[in-house]
Amino acid sequence: MADLSNLAGLVSEPSGEIDSSVSSVSNRSLRLAEKEKRKGVADPFGLAVKYLSQVEAGTVVRGNDELERNMVRVETVALSKGLPPEVITMLLDLALSLNAGTANCTRVLKFLLPATVVPQEAIVKGVSWLCVGKMPMNAQVLFVRWVLTVFDLIDCKDDLRSIYGFIFSFVTEENLFPFICHLLYLLTMWEHVHSYRVRKLLDIQAKMGRQPFLTQLLALYKVFRPDLVTLSLPSRARVKNWPSIPPLSSAFDSNSNKKVFRLQELRSFKELLENIHNIELPAQMGSLLGSALALHYLDCVQDESAFLRLNFWLGHSLQEEFLLCPVDGSSDNTSEACRFLSTILFTQQFLQEGFSSTESFLYKFLSVWDGCLLRPQILDLLSDIPLMPSFYMHKLLFEPLKQLYFTSTVFFKCSVIECLNSMLVKWLTWHSVSASEGGLDISLNSNSTITMTLSGFMDSVMELVRFVGLLASEGLRLENCHVLLLNQTLAFYETVCDMFLKYSLPLIIMPPAGVFYPALFATDSISVDRLGYIMFRYRKNLTLAKKQEQQREQTFHISRNTYKEFNRNLQAMVNSMWNSWWCIPGSDIEIDKDLIALSKVAEPWCRFDLIHHPALFSYAIEFHQRCWPERKNVDLGSIKTGKYWNWYMEFLFNQGFDGLNNFIQTNTGHGSSIFNVVAQ
Amino acid sequence: MEGRGSAVNTTASRPVTRRSKSYGRSCVEAPSYFWQTPGHLTVLKIPTSRGAARSQLITNKVDPEHIALLVKNEWKLSYVTPLHHFRHTQLKSYSKHLAAFIAAEKQQGVAVEVGLEVGFKVTFTAVLGLAETDEDAETVFIQIQSKPVFAAAADAPKVVWRGWLTCVNGDPEYLRSLPPDFVSLPLFCTSGPESLTTLVKSWFERAFDCNFGSLALNSTTLNWLAALWTGCHSTCNIRYLKLAWSLPSQPPLDVSYTVNPQDAWELWNSIHPEESTDDKIDIKEVQSFINGLETHFFRHFKIYLSAGTLVKVSTALGSAHLDGKLKIGNSDYITTLLTLLTESALLKMPT
Repeated sequence: MADLSNLAGLVSEPSGEIDSSVSSVSNRSLRLAEKEKRKGVADPFGLAVKYLSQVEAGTVVRGNDELERNMVRVETVALSKGLPPEVITMLLDLALSLNAGTANCTRVLKFLLPATVVPQEAIVKGVSWLCVGKMPMNAQVLFVRWVLTVFDLIDCKDDLRSIYGFIFSFVTEENLFPFICHLLYLLTMWEHVHSYRVRKLLDIQAKMGRQPFLTQLLALYKVFRPDLVTLSLPSRARVKNWPSIPPLSSAFDSNSNKKVFRLQELRSFKELLENIHNIELPAQMGSLLGSALALHYLDCVQDESAFLRLNFWLGHSLQEEFLLCPVDGSSDNTSEACRFLSTILFTQQFLQEGFSSTESFLYKFLSVWDGCLLRPQILDLLSDIPLMPSFYMHKLLFEPLKQLYFTSTVFFKCSVIECLNSMLVKWLTWHSVSASEGGLDISLNSNSTITMTLSGFMDSVMELVRFVGLLASEGLRLENCHVLLLNQTLAFYETVCDMFLKYSLPLIIMPPAGVFYPALFATDSISVDRLGYIMFRYRKNLTLAKKQEQQREQTFHISRNTYKEFNRNLQAMVNSMWNSWWCIPGSDIEIDKDLIALSKVAEPWCRFDLIHHPALFSYAIEFHQRCWPERKNVDLGSIKTGKYWNWYMEFLFNQGFDGLNNFIQTNTGHGSSIFNVVAQ
Repeated sequence: MEGRGSAVNTTASRPVTRRSKSYGRSCVEAPSYFWQTPGHLTVLKIPTSRGAARSQLITNKVDPEHIALLVKNEWKLSYVTPLHHFRHTQLKSYSKHLAAFIAAEKQQGVAVEVGLEVGFKVTFTAVLGLAETDEDAETVFIQIQSKPVFAAAADAPKVVWRGWLTCVNGDPEYLRSLPPDFVSLPLFCTSGPESLTTLVKSWFERAFDCNFGSLALNSTTLNWLAALWTGCHSTCNIRYLKLAWSLPSQPPLDVSYTVNPQDAWELWNSIHPEESTDDKIDIKEVQSFINGLETHFFRHFKIYLSAGTLVKVSTALGSAHLDGKLKIGNSDYITTLLTLLTESALLKMPT
């Protein structure tokens, strides 16, 4: 029996506090003595517990008022607040020992409500009382049901698992049988499943037929030891729910000698960490995708065969679903497929890597894809494609994508650019991570590692950027500079312009004219502002590159052409927006003056300055109205004079055009008309 | 348009390693054999030439009883991805497991102890000698017998299902690239009720983490078979060359075309002379053989067979259907046939 001498103290705090508030002036030591004395008196619960703990075998129960009084006292507390662990242990022992009689046994079990946890030792002791076999059947049933009810509150289950055999022996008790099965189900671990237990349960099955509690226990046995027992649970409808993630289960040649931890036994991340060195892989690798904990483990797996199994399964599922079996068009099928692809996507995003089987599936699928079926999922998967040599990019990726791009709607075009942007970001991030790790070979498997030189990597990035440049310029032309497409394109160039500063990739690629000019002459202010930001970042990158080149002895070399190109774009932008003149010396896009004259536009050279630019025109009008509210004739030219110009600039930048602001601040000596090109 | 770093010092030539932790293998670099052939990407390169069919007394190598099992049935073909942890030494234990699995599946919700024979008896047998190269795994034959509960003691158990997994002359490079804990038996032939086939497949999928798919043959394979079998006529009477076409007309037209074996052989011999020193047959020769047959048909019936699809080829040596049905007529040419089918199955392997 538990030592209960200090039990009363545990539950008597409140009375002590009341006491101190009353006698606040009295002598301290006297107060303590008083408190000590009054504790017992003021704590009827503590006394009741103490009394009950001392009830011995053979105590007269009938007519024992004192027992009844104490019982009621504990019962009241139990029903209102719950009982502390020690009291649970004591009361359970009292009840099951039948010291307080059979009636009190069931009574105690009914009010045995834990306040916090149930100590494991209480249950173990309870099971030993069960083994004594004195208890009446209804009390036995009540006890097991009570264990099931408080199971989640049992502090630790180790000892309980080690008396599994004792608990198992009760399966032959007809009345206890369902509840014992349930308890065993909660306790069973791999080491508990033995052929003699399987045989016992099968004997019962033969006698009693299909009982849900027995079937579930056997099903659990099968998960652990498919080599001993097999079972098929009837599914509601035998429909083809495919492709699907298989359930976690042991391989049937699972190593029975070694003490290993099985993934289906994992309950928490902590358990995973403690057992990570001896976890056994499941029968089907695909089942790892169905469990979040298993995915954590997948991230640490270094076994080539394991990944090969996973890729065979995944490749097969994708191939059978999308390439070999034609989709019959039923929406049900598509939603299944959609769920499957979403699971793969989730896994890849979790691992921050794509699977090679998804990759090769996509190369095959792109050539037969209509661009519609599961578009968001397919494009998301596509953006996970890892870096590859530029030679393959053309054949496997660009050719099919180009065909789809040019034959689809503007929204598809936007999605493609967005997808390629996200692909580029992933490649660049991967590069900056591996570069910061000092080129350390992270892959532990030399077989499956592609080694690529930095220049090879840059070739691939360059190819991708060039490809998007082509898609974007042609797409903008075809779609009449659609504003969504333009913004998606500019988002891509926001990634491109910062490759050196943000991802330390010594590569600077300028946008083609087919992207630059549509953005410069765009009718929406957001595009123009974005272009300003992009040009501002290009300048930062180029300046830093220049600086590094001069400081260190040629870390890398940016070609003169890049500077020339940047300067030409810069000149075009500053000239048209700031200086109201068009002539770009040495540019190949000079426009014949007579041709412009034919348009009969007055002062054509200032049509794209900060006042007349179609994207900013409305702001200029608004500014004009605010400055000269009484004027009938709008004369935008007056904005250019004196202090109004500076006010106008301030007004514009207050509209949130940070990109343009940065651009103008860095490229023009504040307010002057001189712009600085980057030295070549 | 772009300014790029030129490889002037160590930074630029430092190798960048593609992180590939969660990749089985890359599909764009060796050792994955990722080929792009017109229309589809496959693990293997599709061969454009192969050796002529040679007769060999297979019963010298393989138990005649085993061969007899393969010859008499019509087989439905499937492909299967490499089997993980399959051991030819464990066939007895597999028999027990599969039997228990089938019994459990047949009576949903009732658990079955592994090792008790209830209703079904399964036998796994290794058919030794069918493998041609060191890389080929030995063929495994599976037989399911039903043992009705109320059968009289004298009643012999009835064979209800047969199937076998094989690999003959499988691409050595592909087979060698697999880790040693895999066994590749890519061709799966079954004969028996579809429900049992499904059960056997799902047992294999759980036990060896593999996956099955149906193996439809393509016209190229059928063309090859027609030519290879015809070439055998000089050594073994093929009795007939029966070809079936399906034409996409309205309504669809099925054409059955039976050619006198001697005529067919003469046509083939004019394209690929028997006494030619070169043992290899080229796909072009096969194509012109089929074209020759099609032209002949056109001359008589004014129908372009080339507009349709060749769906079936049969001779006394065997028959093969586009939808993956196979009959083996003569065991002496079994190696050639299985080589071709193993290759078709390997082409289906997911990369």
